[in-house]
Amino acid sequence: MNCPRCDHDVIKTIAKSPVGEVWEVYCCQKCWYSWRSTETPRILAKFLLDDAKIAAMQTIPPVPPLKK
Amino acid sequence: MVYHDLRSFLKVLEEEGQLVRIKEEVNPEPDIAAAGRAAANMKNGPAVLFEKVRGYKYPVVTNVHGSWANHALMMGMDKTASTKEQFHELNRRWDLYPVEPKVLSRSEAKCKENEITEDINLFDLLALYRINDQDGGFFLSKASVITGDPEFPDDFDKMNVGTYRIQIKDKDRVGIQALAFHDIAVQLEKAEAEGKNLPICIALGNDPITTFMASTPIAYNQSEYKFVGALNNGEPAEIVKSDLFDHLYVPAHAEVILEGEIISRLRTVEGPFGEFPGSYSGCRLQCEIQIKKITHRTNPIFENLYLGIPWTEIDYLMALNTSVPLYKTLKETMPEVQAVNAMYTHGIGVIISTRCRYGGYGKAVAFRLLSTPHGMPYSKVVIVVDEFVDPFNLEQVMWAITTRVKPSKDVAVIPNCPGMPLDPSSNPAGMHDKLIIDATTPVPPEPNPRETQLLTPPAGFEKWDEIIRGLLK
Repeated sequence: MNCPRCDHDVIKTIAKSPVGEVWEVYCCQKCWYSWRSTETPRILAKFLLDDAKIAAMQTIPPVPPLKK
Repeated sequence: MVYHDLRSFLKVLEEEGQLVRIKEEVNPEPDIAAAGRAAANMKNGPAVLFEKVRGYKYPVVTNVHGSWANHALMMGMDKTASTKEQFHELNRRWDLYPVEPKVLSRSEAKCKENEITEDINLFDLLALYRINDQDGGFFLSKASVITGDPEFPDDFDKMNVGTYRIQIKDKDRVGIQALAFHDIAVQLEKAEAEGKNLPICIALGNDPITTFMASTPIAYNQSEYKFVGALNNGEPAEIVKSDLFDHLYVPAHAEVILEGEIISRLRTVEGPFGEFPGSYSGCRLQCEIQIKKITHRTNPIFENLYLGIPWTEIDYLMALNTSVPLYKTLKETMPEVQAVNAMYTHGIGVIISTRCRYGGYGKAVAFRLLSTPHGMPYSKVVIVVDEFVDPFNLEQVMWAITTRVKPSKDVAVIPNCPGMPLDPSSNPAGMHDKLIIDATTPVPPEPNPRETQLLTPPAGFEKWDEIIRGLLK
């Protein structure tokens, strides 16, 4: 299984339904997109991610310099 | 009527016909968010409580604050109270600040009924779901987040209670958005400069005024808990010490409390998330929280909100609590100001009613608003109307614009000012123009060559107002 957003292949099952075996929730370990097994993610092209897009993302809030 | 927990408020909403129960099982997606959208579309729409969500143990409730009727009931007012009446009541209670909170013992606090320290799994307790279909995951959209100032850990007033979007990233790990101008970012910067984690508590399912205050912009050294007591008309907030952190206090009867730490100097991909201007904010590298302990009430109710193109529930949580602080600031130096309606997209659009002391005063009031700490970046469209126009009555405001404005002299555009970065028309993000529409009647020395005589209501209309309202009850 690959991430529907960034195509990464390390996907963790982060939850199974507490009642019955009716769904699981998966989370990409690279872009942190998560989805339920009962969903069919249809991610708009503008929200698809790759390494270049992730590298160019704004950092919020900025990480301050360490005090010595 | 003062509520010390979510459950007592839900009970009153139900008695007042402002809460509906869905007893049939629903799917987490898209049912919960879709119901939130539908309820928000209704005039005086109700809260919606889902008793059974497929695969989950416990219920979820949405749209709790999502109408003016619910907002009035939150304040202990009659559900038919007008927006303007609620504005003036909130303004009166504001001045009761500070009201010292009541610190309960652990055994008195219902949020401590159960505790989890091992195998933490948020999905066991919370019916988590996707709010908007392009969101990057499931979000907590209505949590009250409590943090302290690492430099002044014992300064109660500097403890912050705020609402920030929180993305579920694992069964015990979440992402959080802390924008640089938010109070939590001030505290995080101090911790991260020392290479330390920032202790944090996340309170879910609170009494309605605590949630309301968590989304109210107040000064850094003002206490949200002391404001909760003020807005509850002098009845103190009930709080209890966090289990893990001696300097943090949480709402005593919250449904669920998550305790953990923001991981120092870590940023990972977060978002997108459908945001309050009615559009998605994209992905950014943001903070993560490791959850280390949960306490919760027995059979906890998960409270979350839908946000979409306004108006939806979130708009009620940044409506009058945006308007009142701006009104107070203006009133200090311009006592002629009667009321401020800053309910449109967190104050991007503002309507002010004022008496004009001399010619040009309407525009001067707008300039004053645009130089306040909130108005400077946020407010973009400012409409000024006469003192007899109710700024919360948009039909009256449109009447004033259509009959009082001569565009060549009453409309002004001021280019290249501060702007709100989440406003998609701000370009570059953070810069914007300001628009002032002065819809007041000219007063000297400004000429008013076509002075009019205003129509007045027929004699006895107050009596008929009472009769007709009585018949409607």
